[in-house]
Order: sequence, then structure tokens, then C-alpha cells
Amino acid sequence: MIFNDKPAEALIKPTGINEEEIRRIKTESGKPVIGYLCCFAPPEIISAAGAIPYRITGEPGGDTSSADAYTEPYGCTYVRNILARAIDGKLDFLDGLIISHSCDMVQRLYGIWTYYHPLPYSYLFNVPHQVTPWAQRFYKRELGFFRESLEKFTGRSVSDEKLRNEIVLQNKNRAIIRALYDLRKESPPRLEGSEMLKLLMAGGTQPSGSFNRLLHEKEAFYAARKPGSGKKPRIMIWGSIMDDPALFEIIEEAGGTIVADDTCIGFRVWEKDVPETADPYDGLTEHYFVNFQCPRTDRGPGVKRFNYLLERAREYSVDGVVGYCISFCDPHKFDYPDLRDYLKKEGLPLLLIDDNYSFEPAEAIKTRLQAFLEML
Amino acid sequence: MSHSEMSRAKRHLETTRKMKDMLPRFFMRMMERRFSNEPLAWCMVGVPPELLKAFDLLFEWPENFGTMCASRLVAPRFIEVAEGDGYSPELCSYVTNTMGYCKLFKETGEAPEESPLPGGMGTPAMLLGSGFICEPRWKWFQSVATRFFDVPVYSSDPLAPPWDIDPHDPRIEEHYLTLLREDLAGQIEFLEKETGKKLDLNLLREILALSHKALGYWRDTLALRKAVPTPMGSTDYFHAIIPQMYLVGDQEAVDFYREMYEEVKDRVERGVGIVDEEKYRLIWFGLPPWFNMGIFNYLESFGAVFAYESTYNVGDHFEVDLTDPLEAIVRRTWQRAVKMHDYGAEAMPELCNPAVFGGFVGSSLLEELVDDFNLNGAVMHLTRSCRAVSFGEVHTKNRLAKAGIPSLIFESDMADPRLWSDAQIKTRLHALLETIDRAKEGGKINDL
Ligand code: SF4
Ligand code: SF4
Repeated sequence: MIFNDKPAEALIKPTGINEEEIRRIKTESGKPVIGYLCCFAPPEIISAAGAIPYRITGEPGGDTSSADAYTEPYGCTYVRNILARAIDGKLDFLDGLIISHSCDMVQRLYGIWTYYHPLPYSYLFNVPHQVTPWAQRFYKRELGFFRESLEKFTGRSVSDEKLRNEIVLQNKNRAIIRALYDLRKESPPRLEGSEMLKLLMAGGTQPSGSFNRLLHEKEAFYAARKPGSGKKPRIMIWGSIMDDPALFEIIEEAGGTIVADDTCIGFRVWEKDVPETADPYDGLTEHYFVNFQCPRTDRGPGVKRFNYLLERAREYSVDGVVGYCISFCDPHKFDYPDLRDYLKKEGLPLLLIDDNYSFEPAEAIKTRLQAFLEML
Repeated sequence: MSHSEMSRAKRHLETTRKMKDMLPRFFMRMMERRFSNEPLAWCMVGVPPELLKAFDLLFEWPENFGTMCASRLVAPRFIEVAEGDGYSPELCSYVTNTMGYCKLFKETGEAPEESPLPGGMGTPAMLLGSGFICEPRWKWFQSVATRFFDVPVYSSDPLAPPWDIDPHDPRIEEHYLTLLREDLAGQIEFLEKETGKKLDLNLLREILALSHKALGYWRDTLALRKAVPTPMGSTDYFHAIIPQMYLVGDQEAVDFYREMYEEVKDRVERGVGIVDEEKYRLIWFGLPPWFNMGIFNYLESFGAVFAYESTYNVGDHFEVDLTDPLEAIVRRTWQRAVKMHDYGAEAMPELCNPAVFGGFVGSSLLEELVDDFNLNGAVMHLTRSCRAVSFGEVHTKNRLAKAGIPSLIFESDMADPRLWSDAQIKTRLHALLETIDRAKEGGKINDL
């Protein structure tokens, strides 16, 4: 069944409303808001520097025509969407911008954006593509340069103690998120995938403290929710960024239930604690670089690079995987054939949804999903 | 698209025409060694070819193989096989060309008969990748080794600073140099293990000296193209890069580039251009359409010549101290990155150039080139499947418009002729030439 109490609805706001909320928080706190796209540059450092980290998301299906004057048509539609929003002034509440060198598209977005629309603060966080010892050392040094640049901008120093506190705070949030994911191991789960995603999205657009309060409230709510009944195919989502619940809702309407995910914004960021190491930068390196399972990082050939996915599928008793690839998304599109074959060998079917970041036409997507779910 | 619309390039220089003898001789030598089962490495641009020479390693370049498949119009066959295997048509056609080729190779145990080289690319014993330039290059060899050839892979990761970071800050410099040094050490350790040979630093130094000599001639040749009329065009340019991949570090390459330099210099002295009446001097951006290099000759027939190309442009050649040859490789990479950076690199991809290729035009370099090379128009090839190289063209167009230089962006691909629409592209090229005519008379530049 699809729960009709829809408790997360209130906190799940269309992008525009989240923006109103962040404007309010900004005015009340007097702190600068720093937008980021990807987690290689840890939000904990932004908070410790006295700024508010804000995860920038797109508006699926939104008009990207304003991006045409600055970039080519062939490029990740999510990135073009964000650039268009920046140009249209929809992100004018940002005092700063941090872009990690995750994929090619995002890295280039940085150059074009900051060249044509400079912000008071911007930083491109450079990230090696593999996790060799020297790559880890580079990443850790980069954390230091990043910290310095933030300190210079906010005028506040980032002591190890402040940073540790921020890590502890976010780890508390991680613990609650893990507990919520645990609820999804039930059959049927007490918490739908779309509800979880909305909650995680809310977490990217507010300070860790208020997110903590929200999580507590929602944990209590979901834990008390009466379990549903009936069996539904259990789905894991893999693929490009998922910053809108539309696809999840289509899957749920088609009769499936999403119990696990491997996407940006999803479990990837929250599944493990940031290790609370003596030198906090060691813990951050381990969490946000070495263990961060993004396909842009080369973990060597062979299918063992997907083992974590199979383990997750087993842990959550997944029946099938829905892959989601945004147009021109190289990291995911290149991995698809290898992953499909690997999962097939392990008895897990994978359905690929190719999309231009619009989830349209929804009916056609739904029909394909229904056929897939029936097969499971 | 009909294949009859595609035409091979006509070269203008004696030296590049002679490559038709030189390269087959080289490939024969390689084949003989391959048949005696010497280990073969598949490599990527970004891997210093001098290092491969120093290990006396046989090597092949799937990227270059992609260009050969493209120019013989067999790439679509391989690309379609890859698409059937689940690779999206949006992905780099050099990669999908390789994936289709590998699949056919594995199915039959030998190179598909359409392959341009006898024996195709051979069977790799190792894969040496480089993440320089783009993302697909990270996934490429990872998937080749996952799906087709279970052999060891080493990928180097020459990161460069973003456009708004000061590379002259000694701390930043050290940050990047440390990565470059350690990464090169990793590459050498891998090569020593896989070849069972120890790197001979003296030999590497000699190879580097020869390679720099050859590249020095190449740089000087490119500078000669400032002359009016320009003595060398794109068809010669794009063919003349091949020895840099295969032969650099050999005396043969020094001789080739010296001869080329002398020939081009002689043409300048005699005022010999590549067209009778040079009406338009252009700059080319992006990868060329390898399947239809005749398009350059087509433009020449209207008096339009290219005096500069942004891709594969070694451009500046650095005098590096070869006392420590490893440090020389690292410094070369770094200096090039810094140089490009100083020119303005806001729309650029990865900047480093550890080997001999690269070349993206920095925004302030553009203005310099327009003056130095007397340019009056630009053609940009927007390659659908290679966003790495074509991204930034809109920005470049904006910058050129400011300088009063008309430009055209047209869409197609570097290897997949199915994306070429001949009539439409030619119409647009003619519109560009007309706009240049009007701009010369002080008219308005239309948006093309
Ligand atoms: S969707 Fe893919 S291409 Fe787009 S930003 Fe994410 S990883 Fe990059
Ligand atoms: S730079 Fe372009 S052509 Fe070269 S490998 Fe990358 S995507 Fe392919």
C-alpha cells in the first residue's frame, strides 16, 4: 500500500520553497550561505567555518534555455538546469559556491558559472580519481586549502575542535538515518523510498542542528507507524543524482517499493559515520573520499567494484534494481553494461531508465516500470 | 549520411605525404615484434611515450585506432556492436569503437576483418591509461579489463589547478608537483613489474632529449603558420601529429619534424600558400571529423585556410633540465599546465599535458592568436560524443565575438559519420564565410 498519512509532505517542499526557507535561515542567523553540489568537499568544514552549507539541487523538467548562451546543448541536463537557475537569479541567496571535481560536467560548470556570474566566494575542490596512497595525501592537503579559503572568506578560524563537534553532530544524524533505513528492511517497509528521499533532501538544505530535530521527530513518527501489509517487489535505485522524488513516486504508484538506493543525496552520504579520528582530516578523507562510492572514482577493473551494491541488495532483500541515467552522464552510463551483467549473474534484474532530467513522459516510464515489476 | 559524401584529405606538404611510406614501415616493425609475442601495452594520450620507449615496450593507442577506424568508415560497425551491448550512443565514440572492436575480437579470437591495421590492435598484456582530459578515459580501460581482457591496468591522474587558483603560489605548486611525482613513480613501478625491466634513467634522458628536439621543430613549424599566406593547413597538421604518438624519442621523428620545418620555412620564404588566393584565415576548435577530412580541402576551394588548431597543439615547448629525467617529465607537465592557466582557463577541462598533446585555447590566448596569426574567423566542431573537448566552445564564441571575430559552431562527431549532415554543414560554413566578408567591410556579425 501507499501510506496516505504522508507525514513527510510538510517537509518535502518543491525546490522553490526550500529556497524561501534558506533565505529565512540566512536572515535570522546572519551567516553566509554556501552552495555545494557534491559531497567531496565536506559540508562539515563549511559549518565549522561559520557558514551554512546548502546542497544545490535542480528543478527536473525546468527550462534550461538561459544556459544556452554559455554552454553547449550536449551536457548533463541536471548541470545545465542548475546553471540556468543560477543565471535566472534563482540562487541569488548564495554567498558562495563550492564545486568538487567529481565528474567532467560539474567541474566545467564551475568555470563557466564563476566566470560569468562571480560570487563573493567560490572554490573548486579538486579530487583525484583513484584512491592510491598519494591520491589520499592529495585529498587531505586539498582539505587544508579548502579550509583556509573558507576561513579567509568567513573570517572565522576552523579549529579542530569545532570541526570535531560538527562531525559528531552530523554522525548523530547519520545514526538516525541508518535507523530509518533499517525500517525499510521490513516487508512491506514502514517507510517509503520517496519519503526517505524527501527527508534526506531536506537535510541538504538546513543546518545540522535543525536537521537533527527534524530527524528525531520523523523517526518517532515512522517507528510508531502501523506496518503495512501485502507483498510488493522490493527495488533498489542506482544511478545519477536523484534530487526529486518523482521517479520514486512513479515506481511506488506502479506497485513497487523502494527499499535501498545508491545515488547522490541518498544513502551514500549517510550510511557510515565519519570516523572520529585524532586528526579530523583523516576521518574526513576516509569518509568522503576513500569510502565514498561514486562511480567517478576508479576503483580498478573487475566487478568487485560493485560488491558493495550486491551486499546492500542482499541486506535489504532487493528483488530488482532500477537504474537511472541522466543524459550525457558519463560515469554512470559507462558503468551500466558492467553492472547489468554482474547483477544478472547474481540473479538480480536491472531496468535502465534513460532520462533527460524531466521524468517525462511519466506514463511511458510507468508502463516500463510496471512491466519490470510484474516480471520480478 | 551517405558515405559518398565523405572524402579523404589531400595533403599539401611533401613531408606529410611521405608518411605514407614511413608509417607502414613502422607498423611492420611493430607487427614483427608482436608476432614474436612481446608484451603489448594499450595506452592513452597522457602516458609519456618517452617512458614507453625507455622500457622498449610495444604499444598501441586505442584513441588513434579510433581515428583510423573513423577515417576508413568502419567505426560505425564497431560502435553499433557496442551500442548493442548497452553502451549509450552518447558516449565517446573512440571508447565505443574500442568496446565494439574488443567484443568482436573476443568472439572470434582475432582482430575483426574490418580493422585498419593487420592484426588490429593486437592483444594487450597491460593497459596504461591516463585521466588527463576527461572522464571517459577513466572508465574506458576499467571496462576493457572488466569485460574483455583481464590484464593489469595503471591509470595516471595528472590533476591541475582550477582557473581561479594561483599556480605560482609555492604551496600550490608543491601540492600539485607532489601528486605528479608520486603518480609518475607509481606508473614506473607498474611498468617495472609488468615488463620485468628496470627503468634505465640514462636511456630515458637520451630519449627525452630526442623527443624535445622533435617537438621543438614542431613548435617552430606551427609558428611559421603566422605567415600570410599560411604555408601549412589542417590536413597536414592533423596527419603530422601521428609520429608524435608512435615515434617520438626516435631519431626518425627528429628527422621527420626537421624536414617538415624546413619545407614549411621554404614555403614561407617563397610565399607559397596552400590556396591560390587566401581569402579567409581561420582557427579550428575541437576534434576533426576523421571520416571526412576532405572538408578542409572543401573549404580551401573557397580560399579558406586554417592557420591554427586548438586540439593536439603542443604549442609551447618547454626547455626543461634533463639532469633528472623524471623531474623533467613532471616539470614539463606542470609548466604546461601553468602556462595554459595563465592564459585563462575558466572553460577548460583538465589542463595538464604530461605527454605531447593537449591544447585548449585559454581565453586571453585567443586574443593573442587572433593578432599573431591574422585570423578572421573560427570554426568549432561540437562533437556530440566528446563533450570533453567541445565543452567551452560557446564560451570561446562569446570571447571571439567580443574581439569582432565571427565564428561558427557546427555539430557532428569525431568518429561516427552517422552524425554528419553534409548539406546542412556546408550551408552553415558558407554562411560563416559570408559573415567574414561582411565583417571585413565593417558589417555586423550575425549569430550563426
Ligand atoms: S548526473 Fe552524471 S554527469 Fe550529471 S553531474 Fe551527476 S555524475 Fe555528473
Ligand atoms: S577527450 Fe573526448 S575523444 Fe578523447 S577520450 Fe575523452 S571523450 Fe573521448
